[in-house]
Amino acid sequence: MLRDITIGQYYPADSIIHRLDPRVKLFFVFIYVLSLFMFGNLVSYCLATILLVVAIYYAKIPVKFLIRGFKPIFVLLIFTTFMKLFITDGTVWFKLWKFTITKEGVIDVIHILVRILYLIIASSLLTYTTTPTRLTDALEQVFKPLNKLKVPVHELTMMMSIALRFIPILVEETDKIMKAQSSRCMNFSSGNILKRIKNLVPILIPLFVAALRRADDLALAMESRCYQGGEGRTKMRILKYKRQDFFVYILLAIYFVFSLIIHLLL
Amino acid sequence: MIKAENIVYEYIRRDEEGNVEGIDRVLDGISLDVQTGEFIAVIGHNGSGKSTFARNLNRLLTPTEGSLWIDGLNSDDMENTWKIRQSTGMVFQNPDNQIISSVVEEDVGFGPENMGVPTDDIWKRVEDALNAVDMIKYRSYSPNKLSGGQKQRVAIAGVLAMHPKCIILDEATAMLDPQGRLETLQTVKALNKMEKITIILITQDMEEVIYADKVFVMDHGKITMSGTPREIFTNEEALKECQLDLPQALKLANELRKEGIDITEGLLTAEELVDAICQLY
Repeated sequence: MLRDITIGQYYPADSIIHRLDPRVKLFFVFIYVLSLFMFGNLVSYCLATILLVVAIYYAKIPVKFLIRGFKPIFVLLIFTTFMKLFITDGTVWFKLWKFTITKEGVIDVIHILVRILYLIIASSLLTYTTTPTRLTDALEQVFKPLNKLKVPVHELTMMMSIALRFIPILVEETDKIMKAQSSRCMNFSSGNILKRIKNLVPILIPLFVAALRRADDLALAMESRCYQGGEGRTKMRILKYKRQDFFVYILLAIYFVFSLIIHLLL
Repeated sequence: MIKAENIVYEYIRRDEEGNVEGIDRVLDGISLDVQTGEFIAVIGHNGSGKSTFARNLNRLLTPTEGSLWIDGLNSDDMENTWKIRQSTGMVFQNPDNQIISSVVEEDVGFGPENMGVPTDDIWKRVEDALNAVDMIKYRSYSPNKLSGGQKQRVAIAGVLAMHPKCIILDEATAMLDPQGRLETLQTVKALNKMEKITIILITQDMEEVIYADKVFVMDHGKITMSGTPREIFTNEEALKECQLDLPQALKLANELRKEGIDITEGLLTAEELVDAICQLY
């Protein structure tokens, strides 16, 4: 189950999307998500869908892999949809015992579903097609101006890239701890919710201890390799825009302006 | 390359209010001299102070007393920190906890990036380092997909890319399987021979000591014995006192000799022993 978490993971492949400048992808996802929440009409959703399908196609990422990433949030999604479906007031369409389904409710649910799903697909496409280092390089570059406001941009992006590197290691560790506790008759799959939450404690504590120990080791290793923060540091990869990057920027601008016009007209 | 004169290192234990509870003298007057290009092994049981000693060499710690020169730089001087860390690279025990990046080549480039090496130069260094440890095939892999021995070789490449004069392996083989151990040791030996890099191998495993030019045995923060592996192994009693054991081939040879079989002294490896036994008949 834990291995299903693919959020934030990189999917190695050689595609046009993989080769794009990470800053372009970052801006793209940002504007795309913004547009999803700004314009809520049929035409703009259609446009968004086309854009997403094209992106998935060119990224050469198997749909199966993409869907697997949703599994952990699937329950959450169903829960919110049902809540929204039954508690929204408005014109009644359907009534069953105490539950009423309203026209407004259904429309709201569609909005939520489309927005959340597209948001997740778009942002996971970003991480699937960009190595964590390139992503953090992009973030560092984009937020560089904040350095003047004394925001530790380099340190924050470093933390992020280390966190991404350690996700699979900690997942594996959790798996190991769970097995170790199971072998001592710990039961994780029965009992009521309260009991199950209680049962998590013997997993979380060893996990935290191990994570802190790892952090200590890593800090030593970084220091011994002359790490001294962002100052005086050179970069292995310098980000440079290429032709296709500008093309994608233009595409993004056209999409946004077009959606905006339709939004204003409707 | 390394010159230690009577160095002492103390850990100060404090209680919750910060009062000194006690002082642990982990290194107790260590003096040694390491020449450039030597292959040195430091052995000792758990808690003998060998890791603390290694950390002193890389200026992760500085001696409480005594003086330590690394590549002509006094480790007492704050300003030498980065130069010392560049000239003596360190490989740690847990392969997972010392790889910083999610891609092999980017991890190897981490050291040079920190040193402020120009971009083109970094790529050349990374390539050379990965070639030297024979990991160039895996340059775009995720470290999570590599075996323990391969990860350790990447870690060595990460140190190599900083162009060090000396590499310290702090029990770098302790968590590896026999295959990974062999890979790591062979890599280190090749670097010592071809690139003339000084190697300081810190270990508990007697089998690894065989290949060293010089061995230091540590016990309770002191160097109790030093010499070539052959010299060290002739003194079995003293080794036992330091809770250390002889390599298997040597043990077998000693047992055979006790049984009255005439085997020459000072054999270290299994191959030598096999040859000696074959020559008997």
